[in-house]
Amino acid sequence: MATRAEMAVEELRGEVSVRASGEGQRGYNRGVPGDTGVQGQAGEARTRMEPMIEIRKLNLKYGEKLALEDISLDILKHKVTAFIGPSGCGKSTLLRCLNRLNDLVDGVTITGTIRIGGTDINDPNLEITELRKRVGMVFQKSNPFPKTIYDNVAYGPRIQGLPPRLAMDEIVERSLKGAALWGEVRDRLQESALSLSGGQQQRLCIARAIAVEPEILLMDEPCSALDPIATAKIEELMAQLKKQYTIVIVTHNMQQAARVSDYTAFLYLGALIEYNLTKQIFVNPSKKQTEDYITGRFG
Amino acid sequence: MVDSAKVLAAGEPRGVARLLSVTGGRVTRRIRVDRLARRLVTLGGVAIIFSILAIIFVIAAEVYPLLKKPTASLVGTVAARPDSAPLAAGVDEYREIAYLVTGAGVQFVGVKDGAPIAPSPLAGLKGATVVGTSPPRRGPFAVGLSDGRVIPAEVKFSVSFPEGGRRVVPELLVGDPIAADPGKRPITRLAHVVTPAGPTTAAAVGPKEIVLLTVKETKALIGPSTKEASSQRLPLPIKGEIATLSLDGRGEDLFVGTSSGQVLRVDLRDPSDPKVAGAVAATNRPGAGVSVMGFLIGDRTLVVGDTLGGVSSWQLLQADGGERRLTKVYDFMPHAGAVVAFAPSSRDKGFITADASGVTLLRYGTTGETLLTIKGEGERFEGVVLAPKADGVIAVDAAGRLSQWVLDNPHPESTLKSLFGKVWYEGYAAPEYVWQSTGGTDDFEAKFSLSPLIFGTLKGTLYALLFAIPLALLGALYASQFMHPTLKGIVKPTVEIMAALPSVVLGFLAGLWLAPLVEKVVPGLFLMPIVTTLLILIAVFCWRFAPVGVRRRVRAGTEVWLLIPIVILGGWISFQLGGVVEHLLLSGDYRGWLLNALGLTYDQRNSMVVGFAMGFAVIPIIFTIAEDSLANVPPHLVAGSLALGATRWQTALRIVLPTASPGIFSAIMIGFGRAVGETMIVLMATGNTPVMDWSIFNGFRALSANIAVELPEAPEGGTLFRVLFLAAFLLFVMTFLLNTIAELVRLKLRRRYRYL
Repeated sequence: MATRAEMAVEELRGEVSVRASGEGQRGYNRGVPGDTGVQGQAGEARTRMEPMIEIRKLNLKYGEKLALEDISLDILKHKVTAFIGPSGCGKSTLLRCLNRLNDLVDGVTITGTIRIGGTDINDPNLEITELRKRVGMVFQKSNPFPKTIYDNVAYGPRIQGLPPRLAMDEIVERSLKGAALWGEVRDRLQESALSLSGGQQQRLCIARAIAVEPEILLMDEPCSALDPIATAKIEELMAQLKKQYTIVIVTHNMQQAARVSDYTAFLYLGALIEYNLTKQIFVNPSKKQTEDYITGRFG
Repeated sequence: MVDSAKVLAAGEPRGVARLLSVTGGRVTRRIRVDRLARRLVTLGGVAIIFSILAIIFVIAAEVYPLLKKPTASLVGTVAARPDSAPLAAGVDEYREIAYLVTGAGVQFVGVKDGAPIAPSPLAGLKGATVVGTSPPRRGPFAVGLSDGRVIPAEVKFSVSFPEGGRRVVPELLVGDPIAADPGKRPITRLAHVVTPAGPTTAAAVGPKEIVLLTVKETKALIGPSTKEASSQRLPLPIKGEIATLSLDGRGEDLFVGTSSGQVLRVDLRDPSDPKVAGAVAATNRPGAGVSVMGFLIGDRTLVVGDTLGGVSSWQLLQADGGERRLTKVYDFMPHAGAVVAFAPSSRDKGFITADASGVTLLRYGTTGETLLTIKGEGERFEGVVLAPKADGVIAVDAAGRLSQWVLDNPHPESTLKSLFGKVWYEGYAAPEYVWQSTGGTDDFEAKFSLSPLIFGTLKGTLYALLFAIPLALLGALYASQFMHPTLKGIVKPTVEIMAALPSVVLGFLAGLWLAPLVEKVVPGLFLMPIVTTLLILIAVFCWRFAPVGVRRRVRAGTEVWLLIPIVILGGWISFQLGGVVEHLLLSGDYRGWLLNALGLTYDQRNSMVVGFAMGFAVIPIIFTIAEDSLANVPPHLVAGSLALGATRWQTALRIVLPTASPGIFSAIMIGFGRAVGETMIVLMATGNTPVMDWSIFNGFRALSANIAVELPEAPEGGTLFRVLFLAAFLLFVMTFLLNTIAELVRLKLRRRYRYL
């Protein structure tokens, strides 16, 4: 286990060293993106480092209760970014802001801006379904629809407008392959998705999410209900997926964050405490609270 | 529990016992309460099952006699020793005294022992002997004498109850002899009937010739009444010879059965000018001749038996041209040999026929069915009698021996065929499904077809569900998926309160208030779904162009407030348009148009009104259950669908609806069950006409309403009473089956979605 985390860190070393900008009282609230650091990189690296999601001064209230306070951070393209923090710190809420799933909750008010690929996603004229098509999501509890495996994967493309049957077969195969599930289910595509095991169901949900070809994949504690073997498979998969997608993952499991993510944001009581390279956070956190949390003094 | 109790009782191991003994008192009390609760619950469940079984048993016990096969048991055979071979026979209603028409007149004998009772001579015989008689069935008959005269007569029984016993005294009334044939040939075949205008007698005086004797009595207020007798000879254009004669009870038609198998009708409606009105071949067996003939009670159905054993029933039906024609209704199960005797029941449409080999068959004229075979001892019967209460059969053979059977046949009119099949009733042009349980006269033919009632129940249910299901399901979908929770908190209880309205109130409102109201606006009503839908679509389309600022001000889930004025406007426009449409397209009167263009009649209390009223009663049930199951769809499925870029509408249709389908299915089934059993609304809002017609503009009669209407007037234990219980049984079975199917399907669906 540890070796994999080290590998992740090793991988990071090859890249630019990123530092949290600003040292001031609220400086840690500013997100990563290396302003100066990135400049020196080759073209390819530059595109890889451009921020996919820009969050600026985000505040979120449930009724009168402030759940997220003044959050600003940038999430980089084709990286895995992990949100960690104790229960109730707002990491899931923050994640759900990214595809506006908080709209479902009554009495939520959001201020501040979130830009994805330069577009303000809280613009009232924005077609919300378009946003969600670009930002896929995998939930904590696997939630396959009570349909066949095939129909589960085909659901997304179908609601966007039915492609012809052949194309659909291709999409389903590609998505299942992408989620490393194809080998296990290729002969039982017409069986109910509910007959799969928990880990398979979760990978099916990933396949379902990538079938609509999103740019960003949000994962809300995707492994919390899974056994270690299934967890390892999903983590392996994430390493594959980040070549194509920008992944944001919420996790309770700090080892997991260390293993799979490139960047880590530590949230506490609705505030962003520290955001940095995962290696940095775990090896040399700059905040006392971060250190206390990752060393298990609270949380 | 039991195990721990054992441990406690055993008290080992010691440590555990000591530990438990601290709380021992409380534990044993808990065990006791637990056991008591379990027994109470079991008792409740068993009691419910038991009461339902008891209800089924009571209903089934009331229904059972309806379908029980009739039975006959031989009481005995006694020798009556008449002076000559009997020509015909009859019996009193208590089956104590029988009478035989013999050569010397009429002889009374005891049914139990065959002993002769006080001889009552036939006055005016003057040395002649009786050689023929008209069937002595109900009241008057006439005997033909060997010297060409005819004597009308009547047998009456007076019943008294001295000292707690029963005494039946027979009496023979004899009229004046009439000379029928001046040629003094013996009169062997004759028919006799007494109408309010006077007696009519038809007698065969030759192989192809009859004499019609009519006596017209005019009763003056003052002075003596006059009697005017007339006699007409009428040669008949027949093949073969006259075999039997029969007059209907109104004296309008004379039917002549011939040895060549024909039945000839003579129209007597104008007594001074009898006309031969046509003949039919009454038997399709070559070489058969008519041997017996007679009317069932009511004088509408003529039963014809032939010399080869065939028995058929016939009715005079009006053809298209207004001309009456003898039409065959049923062919009955044939006898093995010639039919020699016929006797109708004087209570219902049953009759018996006997053949030469002594086999007597009990039949029923309404259904054309043969209910029972009674086998004699091989002797040939000269006459058979169906006792006046239809509870016994008496047969007499040539030697004068009387055989008596007791008949147990309480419900001859109800067989599976008459209850569910098409039956050819008297006066109908073809077999039909008819429910008409009571009529004004004793000879009324009860029509107990449950098919129109089952049809009515299904029709009412169909229209109610047609109205209720779309409204309730779409409402539930909206309330659960789109409506603002605060608003839903008001709307749902309100709809549920609708279910608390007593259905008698709904029925009353529907029948007396809604029905006249609906009648005025039918075209507008039919326009309403179209106009309102269009208007809503237009409004929604325009809403898209509203400025964002305005749109944001409306909270999600409360848009429905904006639609209310639009729906009201839609209703108003529809009713206005309805008048215009009626004026322009339906020539100003939709009822006339319906009748002319579609051939439909409009009844004020019709299925549409029932659909509204019963739909109103069913909507809350379907809505509540469906809404619950829709709202219980796991939110992570909804979130999963939305996160894939589905709209809320796509999510509702493709994820929520299928996932909630078990609940929706049971909602519909429970609504169905409610509509099937609904009584007061269908009773009060329809005309209760048991017609079988799918038209939405006329009424129907449902099984449940039928029970409510007719049970108070049904004599206990009678056929109607039991048929109503059968209707109740059917309702029970229908709802039982529906609920069972619903439950099975629901369980199956639920098993499919178990892992959610």
